[in-house]
Amino acid sequence: MAAEWSSEVWPDWCPGCGNFGILSALKLALSELGVDRRSFVIVSGIGCSGKIAHFVRTSGVHTLHGRAIPFASGIKIANPELKVIVHGGDGDLLGIGMGHFIALGRRNIDVLVVIHNNGVYGLTKGQASPTLGKGLKTKSLVSPNIADPVNPILLGMMAGYTFLARGYAYNVEHLKSLLKAGLNHKGAGVIEVIQPCPTWNNVNTPEWVSNNTLYLKEWDPLVNKKEDLVQKMREIVSLEYGYKRPLGVILEDNTKETYQERITGLNEYYGESPPAKQKIESEGKPLPINFERTFGRYLI
Amino acid sequence: MDFNIIIGGPQGGGVETAGMLLIRAVASTGLEVLGVREYHSNIKGKHSYFHVRVADRAVSSIKLPADILGGLDPETLATHFSEVREGGVVVYDEAIEGKPLTKSPSMDPAKVSRLRSTLAERRINDSIEGLRNYLEKEGVRVYSLPFSKMISDILKGTSIPIERTMNTAITSAILSIMGFEKGIVYGAIDTLFAGKAGVLEVNRKVVDTVYEKLSVEKVRVVKKDERLEAGGKRGRRLLLAGAEAVAVGKIIGGLRFQTYYPITPAADESLAIEEIARVFDDDGRVIGTPIIVQTEDEISAIGMAIGGALTGARSATSTSGPGFSLMVEGFGWAGINEVPVVVTYYQRGGPSTGLPTRHSQSDLLFSIFAGHGEFSRIVIASGDHQEAMEDAIKCFNYAEIFQVPVIHLLDKGLANSVTALPVPPLDTAIDRGEVVDGTEEYKRFEFTESGISPRAFLGRSIQWYTGDEHNERGNISEDPLVREEMYRKRLEKRERILKEIPDEDKAKFYGSDAYEDLILTWGTTKGAAFDALPALNALGRNVALLQVRLMEPFPADYVCKFIAKARRVVSIEANYNGQLAWLISHYCRREVDNTVLKYNGRSISEDEVISAYRRVIEGEGRIVLTGGE
Repeated sequence: MAAEWSSEVWPDWCPGCGNFGILSALKLALSELGVDRRSFVIVSGIGCSGKIAHFVRTSGVHTLHGRAIPFASGIKIANPELKVIVHGGDGDLLGIGMGHFIALGRRNIDVLVVIHNNGVYGLTKGQASPTLGKGLKTKSLVSPNIADPVNPILLGMMAGYTFLARGYAYNVEHLKSLLKAGLNHKGAGVIEVIQPCPTWNNVNTPEWVSNNTLYLKEWDPLVNKKEDLVQKMREIVSLEYGYKRPLGVILEDNTKETYQERITGLNEYYGESPPAKQKIESEGKPLPINFERTFGRYLI
Repeated sequence: MDFNIIIGGPQGGGVETAGMLLIRAVASTGLEVLGVREYHSNIKGKHSYFHVRVADRAVSSIKLPADILGGLDPETLATHFSEVREGGVVVYDEAIEGKPLTKSPSMDPAKVSRLRSTLAERRINDSIEGLRNYLEKEGVRVYSLPFSKMISDILKGTSIPIERTMNTAITSAILSIMGFEKGIVYGAIDTLFAGKAGVLEVNRKVVDTVYEKLSVEKVRVVKKDERLEAGGKRGRRLLLAGAEAVAVGKIIGGLRFQTYYPITPAADESLAIEEIARVFDDDGRVIGTPIIVQTEDEISAIGMAIGGALTGARSATSTSGPGFSLMVEGFGWAGINEVPVVVTYYQRGGPSTGLPTRHSQSDLLFSIFAGHGEFSRIVIASGDHQEAMEDAIKCFNYAEIFQVPVIHLLDKGLANSVTALPVPPLDTAIDRGEVVDGTEEYKRFEFTESGISPRAFLGRSIQWYTGDEHNERGNISEDPLVREEMYRKRLEKRERILKEIPDEDKAKFYGSDAYEDLILTWGTTKGAAFDALPALNALGRNVALLQVRLMEPFPADYVCKFIAKARRVVSIEANYNGQLAWLISHYCRREVDNTVLKYNGRSISEDEVISAYRRVIEGEGRIVLTGGE
């Protein structure tokens, strides 16, 4: 039951906000996946979307504008037993936080990033975000947006994310299935959620969404062999530059090692004993460290 | 016995190895040593040097004039010749004899123009030969030896260029002049070039040749019996740079997760931790492994470290001024969320890029005040390698006991200086503060009598954190009463910290209780003040030293008591404004009588403190030190 996943905090989003759909889909996905709530952590950024960390009955870390990914990365690397999801807006993750967005893809840390993409900075009254189309003028803009938009899926692909999907906030069932697939994926994932903002974005409305998106039906997102990846990436570029934005799982690349596997490759001890699981004292004193073996390089 | 040696050359031209060879050799005999490294922000070509002080008693600063100067290039001789004492020694390769002093393209135009005036003033011809004539006239012993010729014979048939072994040649000459047996140099070379058989063999031959040549010259500076007496007293020691001492301390203290973005001079510490990589027990079992992550920027470094701390791993990040500037927002998040994260902060010359490789103590007030809003933090400044190692452990304890972010405030002077420390006894407490396994009803920010909310790690219970003001559960609240109570909870920790941190971590007093004058200092400047103390007392005043260690919360009760007893208070620090003096005037309601300041990017030396103190006695209020190259 998704209700079990509701916290006691009242979601203070505007009536009709796309965030409600994302919240419902997340709670349904967690419920259906049978996630252990103590080992699940929502890490969020700043803005309307960031508040989601408070609304789910699981641990929530509501961080800084643009910085959810570093916090999430630290949590996941220090304790890989935790399942970590990032929620942030398009301004948060692709504007102020874009460097971290790219870095997470390069590392392929097992963290799923959910971008609440509404094209605007809602909480500060609707300024243009990095995903707002060029020439568009949402209602609080003084003049039309003169910057080109960034495509989160293509950016994520080039950064090395191994799971890419796009959903729509008002199609909760579909979004739930994307979240489940993303949470089951091993490695860094991105779900771009097209999220109408009824208060500030009067351009990318539900009507606009239904005219400008299509649900993927025949598309195969799977890449199981390294040599197939480049061809799949070419196909994704064509798909993304098509006349409508595709909704569904776009890439599921199973060929890359996760960051945890990469660290374990350098240091086998990490796999069995990551930072949060290590004992660091012995009866209130430091561990019985052998100086010669540990710090021998400095001994004279 | 107290020796000061300068060995310099072009950056990337073997100066680092020369210095380490010298330091390793003298330290292996049991002598005390401190090597201070000066270098440009440059990979190859600019002037770089090691100032190595060797003594039979502990030394924590350098001292001029130098007894010996070894030059790998003309610029070194041109830069440092005036720093050599009468009766001192200058060593260089005869092959540079004909070169001019002022023509090295690597020289800063300002330095060239200063040098031209000096040469004109002292009637020195613009050549190494001219300098030699001058120095010999001034009573300096100049050893212009045919090193290149000697080396080129050895290098025949190898692909090693002469410059690559010039450092060994000149360092061997210095060590020979100081009276060290050849075996001692071998020992240092064997360690430095371990695993490089060919290079090792060539370097050994260079040592042989130099020793043979100098035995003909029959030069001895150090008496043999002095050296052996000093050597007999030492057990096994650690030879390390300050940044490495911190790395060792952190690992002993249970560091398991460290993040960093490359920056001078902090990056050395993270590299050292990554190299150490595994903690072993006596049976050779791995009992710990710190994980290092090189992040995309410092904003990520602090964010990741905070994330690690939330999971219960002892977590830290290490940086310098520009990096900490970027971390400030995250640092505030740790403040409002009471996260025990440690920031190891190596100060360097600012603002902006400033002097990236040079010493400074100008970020004291920044580290105390950094961040918008008000929150509790701890700032601890270590004064030497030993303290830096121990404080690295204590910083984690204090962070976890009081649940506040902690800044371990260090400086470039410490980071890059090399010394030998006794192996630490592993008896510093590890105190993780109050840790619980939360339930579903767990309140991360619960109001308690002690003012500290028991901490559950992520994964042990559901919990919320937010950079917004929050209630006991950690959910956003803008309620005025919640705000007031939560705000007070965070700020009142200050009192508890001041009550519980022991006096020796607040400040250290050196000298006689019956002092008339009190010197106040902090950070590595303590070294020069401490070393100068006997000489200052010989100037006719009873002078004591107070090194402040806990910079925030400022231990006013403890420090001001010492101030109140003093007839004269003199502060010594490496900045322009007198930042410690400012804190004293704020907290103790007393203006410091004299400030001794230095902001040219070079560490304060013992002799500078002594000469500054003469000026203090003569009544000069503000004294700016200008020494160092």
